[in-house]
Order: sequence, then structure tokens, then C-alpha cells
Amino acid sequence: MDSPLPDAIRPVMQNGVPAIIVTCSAAGVPNATIISQAYYVDAMHVALSFQFFNKTIRNVRENPRASLCLNDVEGSVNWVLDIEYERSETDGPVFDEMDMQIEAIASATGMSGIFKLRAADIYRVRSVERVPIDAST
Amino acid sequence: MKPDVQSPAKPKGSVQIPGVIVQFLSQATIGMAGTRDASLVPRIRRVSGWRVEPDQETIACTIPEGYTGGLLESLRDNGEFTLTVEEIGPHETYQFKGTYVDAGPCTAPDLSAFEGLRDRFGSVVHSLYGIPEKACRAYIARPSVTVRFRVREIFVQTPGPGAGRRLVPAEEK
Repeated sequence: MDSPLPDAIRPVMQNGVPAIIVTCSAAGVPNATIISQAYYVDAMHVALSFQFFNKTIRNVRENPRASLCLNDVEGSVNWVLDIEYERSETDGPVFDEMDMQIEAIASATGMSGIFKLRAADIYRVRSVERVPIDAST
Repeated sequence: MKPDVQSPAKPKGSVQIPGVIVQFLSQATIGMAGTRDASLVPRIRRVSGWRVEPDQETIACTIPEGYTGGLLESLRDNGEFTLTVEEIGPHETYQFKGTYVDAGPCTAPDLSAFEGLRDRFGSVVHSLYGIPEKACRAYIARPSVTVRFRVREIFVQTPGPGAGRRLVPAEEK
């Protein structure tokens, strides 16, 4: 059964800290990649940017399951989402918003012109896990 | 935990990690790993440190408690393990795909690698993002297990059109 995204996760998706996604090819080889940002679509969906035809993009088209980690460094917590690729959008409000935010991130990180949005990939959220950081050292 | 030395399959070959990449690994500031289960469902594993063993083919990678659920079951099932490491700031990033060797309690060198990463991450993320250094250091959680895996492929993951190119073994032109 799918789990909705809690409200507490929304600021984490906008904190500018890169997220991490792990996918798996049909042949069973996992792939871990850093992504600039994940986007809140609605309580049951997130969007990830499709900028280059890379391994992540190929993998989710072969095997739609993915594991997404959102980082809240100041709050000492991570959010791990079990997500499933549903579709790609090449226009519309989600695409336009992502395109604008990607350009802003690229500009802020000195990588303007490197990032270009091809599509907004929409994923269904299957489960959400809050993982507090154990600060004991 | 007890040492886990059950390897599901012999590695399909391994590669030497080039010296320049070993050097990179000693100064990189963030790492994350991935596994997958028998149903091909991937799972992220945050890592708290890594070190290259003297054979330059094996990486010992430490993982905190919150990311160990189902870890050994997946590794015993299929042996697939991948580690992506970045130097925050320049964005230089590499991915190391390999085959599980064994797992066990963290050793003194593993904990030293963890402490080194915590220091680097705390300093760099504080300076780049303005987040208090104490919070940054705390974000690198103390590990509870060390996974050793043998590297069979290294990929460039630095953001840009060249991301995904296999570095070792070199791609055929």
C-alpha cells in the first residue's frame, strides 16, 4: 500500500542539498547517483529531472523501482523513499517549475549551461521512512 | 555483529584502482552506496567512511545502523554493491561497482576512516552551505558494520554530459 508524503518533508525537498537515488538495471546491477533536487508534485508523487540519458534514466525505464534519499543536514535526519517511475512530462507546470529551479541551482553552483531539462520524470511514492542520524560518536 | 564471510558468488573479475583515484578517495567528502534484493528492488545505504585496501582492488565501506536493514540478506543473495563518492565543491564524483566479499564489525582503521570523513564533511559543508559545523559533523553517523567489496568497474559521475563513462576498465573506442 502506498504512503503519502508527510508535510515535514516538503522543506527538505527545497533545502538545496543534493539528493541521492539508487536504481537497478534489469540485469540486476545497482546504480547510485547524486541528483540536484527532487520536486514535490503531490502527496503521492515526486518528480526528478531528466537532463542526460544516463544510467539512472535507462534503469528506471527497464526496472521502475528506485530508492531516493533526501538529506536534512541541519535536522539530522534523512528521508528514504521507495518510489516507482510512472511517466515523463516534457511540458506543463511541473516541467516549467523544475526547469526554472534547475537553472537557479546551476547558476548558484557555477554550473550554468551544463544542466538542461529534457523531461520531468514522475514517480509514485510507495513508502516513506524517516531515518534519524545517530549523533553518538 | 559476527563477521559475515559468506560470499554468494566469485567476483566476475576485479580491477586495480588507479593511484589518482585512491588519492581522490582519501579527500572526498560524501559517499553513498546501493544494493538490491532478489526482486531487483534497489536500496540506498548511506556510508560513514571508506578506505582502499593494500591490494588496491578492495574497498572497505562503513555503514551506520539506520541503513543496515536487509543489507546482509541482499549481499548474500546476489553480491551486488555500488559506492558513489563525491568531493563536495568541485563535484568530482566516481562510482565503484563491485562484488561483495564479506562484512563484519568495524575495525580501528575503519573507524579512523569514519573520523576522517566526519572531519572533512564537517569543514567543507559548513563552509559551503553555512550549516553549523557541529550539525555537519553529526550528520556523518557512527558506523555499525563494515562491508568489503571488490571493485570490478569504475565510472565517472562528475555532473555533465560525460557522466556515466566507464573509466576502468577503459571503454572500447
